Amino acid sequence: MTPEARRFVAYGFASVHDALAAESALKAAGVAATAIPSPRALGELCGIALRVDPAQSRAAEDALAACGLPPRASAEIDDI
Amino acid sequence: MTDPPGSGGSGTARSCIYLDHGATSWPKPPEVVDAVVTAMTTCGANPGRGAYTMALAAARLVFESRRACADLLGVPDARDVAFVSGCTEACNLMLKGLLAPGDRVVVSSMEHNAISRPLHMLALAGVRVDIVRADATGTMDASDVERAVRAHATRAVICQHASNVTGAIQPIADMADIAHENGALLLVDGAQAAGHLDVDLVALDVDAYAVSGHKGLLGPQGVGLLYLRPGLDATELLQGGTGGGSSEEESQPQGRPERYEAGTPNTPGIAGLGAAARLLLEHGAEWRADEQRLFRRLKDGLRPIPGLTVFGPASDEPCVPTLTLVSDRIDADRIAFLLDRRYGIAVRSGLHCAPWAHRTIGTLDTGAVRFGVGHGTTSDDVATAVTALSELLA
Repeated sequence: MTPEARRFVAYGFASVHDALAAESALKAAGVAATAIPSPRALGELCGIALRVDPAQSRAAEDALAACGLPPRASAEIDDI
Repeated sequence: MTDPPGSGGSGTARSCIYLDHGATSWPKPPEVVDAVVTAMTTCGANPGRGAYTMALAAARLVFESRRACADLLGVPDARDVAFVSGCTEACNLMLKGLLAPGDRVVVSSMEHNAISRPLHMLALAGVRVDIVRADATGTMDASDVERAVRAHATRAVICQHASNVTGAIQPIADMADIAHENGALLLVDGAQAAGHLDVDLVALDVDAYAVSGHKGLLGPQGVGLLYLRPGLDATELLQGGTGGGSSEEESQPQGRPERYEAGTPNTPGIAGLGAAARLLLEHGAEWRADEQRLFRRLKDGLRPIPGLTVFGPASDEPCVPTLTLVSDRIDADRIAFLLDRRYGIAVRSGLHCAPWAHRTIGTLDTGAVRFGVGHGTTSDDVATAVTALSELLA
């Protein structure tokens, strides 16, 4: 695992529906995203967030903006 | 058949010529049954709560079902479609969530109890309810609605899309124009239309549309939909867990669809409805044409039978595949019983949860027998029904 891969960007959304719509949009845009339990760093303790490699965060944010699903919150987090 | 007609049989479903599609569609397509079973056996976790693999699978199942239902109904943003327990809940939500004491509504005389009973409660709370009468076929005249709306300030026009008693299709697009030109909402009970008609909610320009999942949409019982146009927010009926990222908040989240989906959803039912929606997207036009062809054959076969009065639009008029009839010799309940016991034909007698509609067509005191054609009905079913009525009334 590279040092970069030990960090990830987490994106939070307004709802589970939006998170899954975002997952679908990122897949269509060729951005790898993994659904994860919402991390505390996003300011919420329930729900689903998306985890993206930091190297793809720009592409992810562009894709999400293009489909009208801007994240409600984001955070760069150290993996364990 | 497992039981011969007239045996009094075991009541098993296979012995039945099923013509009660106005109540619920049956049999369900195998894909719908498989989707329900698959949901229960492979992703029975709580959707939208945990983020472990099976919970995510359940959440994605709900997500994809919502998208399929939205596509089927012509709704661009699936968030505008909420899953509810059925059309009755959807009607309650759109009425109680959008109306307040002091409001006035104009409503058709053909409404089901899913509309008329919530309106009764709202009337007791101070909502003024003015009823506009349909004609003898159960069809509303939009100009009558326009006159009523213009008479007094109106918060909403409320109308079914199609009648569960006569099959009449109401002029919903005209009513939308009338409502909106007069500053009112158009709230529609689509229980009998969705699946039997090609429904495009954006084109119809409705403000709210209640849908049954288990009738023409061919889904399981226990699931339905409510569409609210973007920007029109109803007060939710229930508050509770929604699983999303706002659990710490005291108040119900206001975003869609979570606002209207408190509590664990009916995931197997939603899975089945999603499968049904996908089938209808692929085959709906063909299946609707078959229904209409068989229904015309039924109506044309029944109308000449002496002593029988068949209610509903003429055979060449658009309608959903439902009709009611009365005999001048045999009570409706007796006809339904004899059709079941002698011929294995399943139809429903009575008022069909629509006393307003029966009052409109003049059968409130007698009830009537309802026949509903749907997916799975065959030419033989229709021929048997016509022959059976002819024999019973000979």
